[in-house]
This record gives sequence, C-alpha cells and structure tokens, in this order.
Amino acid sequence: MARNRVDPAEFHRPLRRVLVGLLILLMLGLFLLWRIDSPRVERFRSALVDRFVPSFQWAAAPVTWSAGVLDNFQSYSRLYEQNQQLREELRQMKAWKEAALQLEQKNARLLDLNHVRLDPMLTHVTGVVLADSGSPFRQSVLLNVGARDGIKDGWATMDGIGLVGRISGVGQQISRVILLTDSNSRVPVAVQPSGQKALLSGDNSDLPPLDFLEDPDEVRPGDRVVTSGDGGMFPAGLLVGSVVLGTDKRLRVALSADYQRLEFLRVLRSHELTPITDPGALVTTPPVQGPPKPPTTPEPGAEAGASNG
Amino acid sequence: MVDPAAREVWLHRALFVAIALLLLFWRLLPLPMAMMSDCAETAGWCRFTVWLNRTPGPDFLLCIIFAWTMRRPDYLPALLIAVVVLLEDMLLDRPPGLWTALVLLASEFVRGRVALTRELNFGVEWLLVSGLMVAMLLVYRTVFAMAIVPQTGFGFAMIQVVWSVLCYPVVVFLSRYVLDLHKPAMGEVDAYGRRM
Repeated sequence: MARNRVDPAEFHRPLRRVLVGLLILLMLGLFLLWRIDSPRVERFRSALVDRFVPSFQWAAAPVTWSAGVLDNFQSYSRLYEQNQQLREELRQMKAWKEAALQLEQKNARLLDLNHVRLDPMLTHVTGVVLADSGSPFRQSVLLNVGARDGIKDGWATMDGIGLVGRISGVGQQISRVILLTDSNSRVPVAVQPSGQKALLSGDNSDLPPLDFLEDPDEVRPGDRVVTSGDGGMFPAGLLVGSVVLGTDKRLRVALSADYQRLEFLRVLRSHELTPITDPGALVTTPPVQGPPKPPTTPEPGAEAGASNG
Repeated sequence: MVDPAAREVWLHRALFVAIALLLLFWRLLPLPMAMMSDCAETAGWCRFTVWLNRTPGPDFLLCIIFAWTMRRPDYLPALLIAVVVLLEDMLLDRPPGLWTALVLLASEFVRGRVALTRELNFGVEWLLVSGLMVAMLLVYRTVFAMAIVPQTGFGFAMIQVVWSVLCYPVVVFLSRYVLDLHKPAMGEVDAYGRRM
C-alpha cells in the first residue's frame, strides 16, 4: 500500500499547475486586451466567425426548415383566434388606408412642389440572416454579406419596414448585426409629431425604452419614432417604431421591423461615417466647438485602415 | 496496438468536442423568436412558453465540464476545456477570455479535489457544483462591474444558473448510464498503468 517508488505524477503535478496557471493568466490577459483595445480583438472574432459559421450552413438549413414547419403547424391550431383578431385589425386598417391614401396624394403634391430627390447615397446591400448568434444576453444576428460586399462597421440595417440594428463586426463573408433590443445598442431617435429627441437604449426586452427624453409629457403612446441622425451614426428619418407605454410606466418603443422573422435584411450604405480604428479617439476626443469633425484623426491613415480591414 | 484505455480517453475527448459543437450549433440556429405580443392576454400557457423561450436556458456545457471532471478528470484536459470555452466565448459574442478563465479555475478546483469528492454522495456533489456555479456568476459580474462593461440584470443572469443547477443531475444521469462515465473504482488503472 505504501508507495515507495517515485511516481511520475509527483513531477507532473507542479509543472501542470504552472501551465494551467499560465493558461488562466493568458485568458485573463485576453479579456484585458479586449477591454483596452477591443477593435483589434473584435476583428479577430469576426475572422473566427467568418471561418466557423459558413461551415455549418448546410446543416442549419434543414433544421431551420423543419422548425419553420413546426411553427406553421402550431399557428394552425390558433387559426380561429387569429382569424377573429385579423378581422378586427382589418376593420381598423380600412380607416387607416383611407387616411394613408389622402396623405400619399398630399405628400406627392408637396414633393413635386419642392423638387425633392430622395438621397441617392442611400443604396443598400441585401443579406440573408445566417445565424442567430445569440444567447438571450446578446441580441445579434449574422448576415451572409461582409467586407467582400463592401459592408462597413456602423452601417444601419433594416428589414423591409423598419430599422433592425447596426453592423458591428465585419468578416470577409459574414457581418454581425447588433439588434436594437441588445443591451449595448444606443440609437439617437426623434419622436415624430413633437420632434422630441431621445436615445433608444436596448435592454434585452422586446420593447426598448426611450432614454433622455427632454419632455416626456409631450410624447404620447402611438407617436412615430424615427432615427434623428444625431452623432452621424445613422441617416436621419429611418422608421424605428411607435411609442408605447410599458407595463413599468416607462415610454418604450414597439419596433416596426418584424423581429420574429428576420430573414432578409438590407444594409444601408452610408459613406460619411468615420471609421473606428482605435479605441482611444472615441473616448478622449477633445471637445470641439465649431465643426463637428475632430481634427485629431488623420484622414488618409484612417482611410487606408478601413480599406485594409 | 492501441491501448483500450487510451482509446477510451480519446473517444471521450472527441465526444466532448462534438457535444460542445452541437450545443453551439443549436444556439446559433436562426429560429423564429417568440414574442409576448403573439399571445392573447388570457393565454397563460402561451405566455409561459414565450417566457421560457426568451429567458436564458441552462448552460449544458458547464454542467458537462463539471460532471466529467468530477468523475474522470483525465478525459478533460485543461487545454481542451480552454479551447472549447474560448470558442464559445468568441461565437456567442461574450467578452473573450473571462468566462474561459473562470471555467478553468472552477474545473481545476474540482480536479484538485477528485480524491475528496470520490467519497461524497451525489447530494453533496450537487451542492458543491451549485455553489461553484453561483460563485462563478458572482465573480464574472464583479469583474464586469470593475471593468465597467454593461451587463444584463442580475435576476436574468441568475435564471441561467438556476436552470444549470436543475439540469446538472440530468447531465450526470445521462453521463453515467448512457456514456458509462463513473468515478474510478478501487484498483482501476489509467492509460499509463498508474492507480487512479
């Protein structure tokens, strides 16, 4: 029972402990590096996702298809209920349609009077949602368009109707869209009839709240919410949704985009974005009074970095 | 030629990687998202399923790592755990490295106490694992707070831990009776002929 011979484990153990300690330190170092210089690490992450996700696309297709079939089947069982609901909605819609037609005619007349040409810079690239990269903690999807198709970080993403989110992380063939409901998403918006500016800040719920409203009394449930274009992040005037009063008495936004079925998304090209190349300039830009363009960013360097990455 | 014990070890390692990839695959599937607004006000069952769908489920990978290191630490070398969890960190858009470091620390804690936990019955093991999971969450969130990274509500994150704790016995049961993963018996030897 007593072990007289020298067990090789006696030598392994301290060595192993040192190696595992190093591994843990390495991981903590990676976290620290991410915290300090996140664009670099995020670029690595995009490259990794780029390699990994397309490889299981062939497997994902049949599974999502059968999930869709199951979903449709479930909806058959609610058919009667839905039918009643739809009839009710249809009645309301008829009234709206009348109003919309009148508005459309009026709008066409006004546009004609003003000789307005809609922004020619706003062309779009359409992508298909590949993967729902998400735990309930992170609300994002992966699109099958990437740097190859000219996608850049920060571009707005819409479905047919409303704003869905913002590109954050571009790989060669894949780009990640942070949805408006993600807890990291902050979008400057304007509430339409009153023109109040606010910040739409996601909190992982279906209805993201409006923060920093100047005067909440002027905003009513049902008001339209559009992007305000502040901060040069998004083009102004993209439809986001409508104001609702949440169960917690906060003003929230019911998003117009169909978040249940994000399948085809269009990424809007916006060319005047300043690319984020280093983490420091975001935080420590000196307050500039006059022109909004920070004089510290070297333009040619930034351009080159964007075209490389 | 190939030692059956060594083959067993490598089989289980490959199986671990396969399970981890399968779990990741499941998490990445673009499934239709259920929404509260689909449900009628009175349909309690429907609202409950939507709630289930929207709140975080159990972290099966963590359960597997604990259950396997508790039983056969040689099946899961630290490097393998690090690589798999780091891949999960990267693909699920978590801050890279921190969760990996915590999982490594916890698995090393368990590994260091294999001789002790071998004597314990399942109830105590379950308690130990639950304590570890809660501790990991607390440390994770503390570091987040220290690094000033925005994070989700505490209750929301706690739901995941509660689910993981509840699912741990299931994972152990499946490992035991499907994969035949058990604590080494007296006198069992490993691939190098050492006593375990």
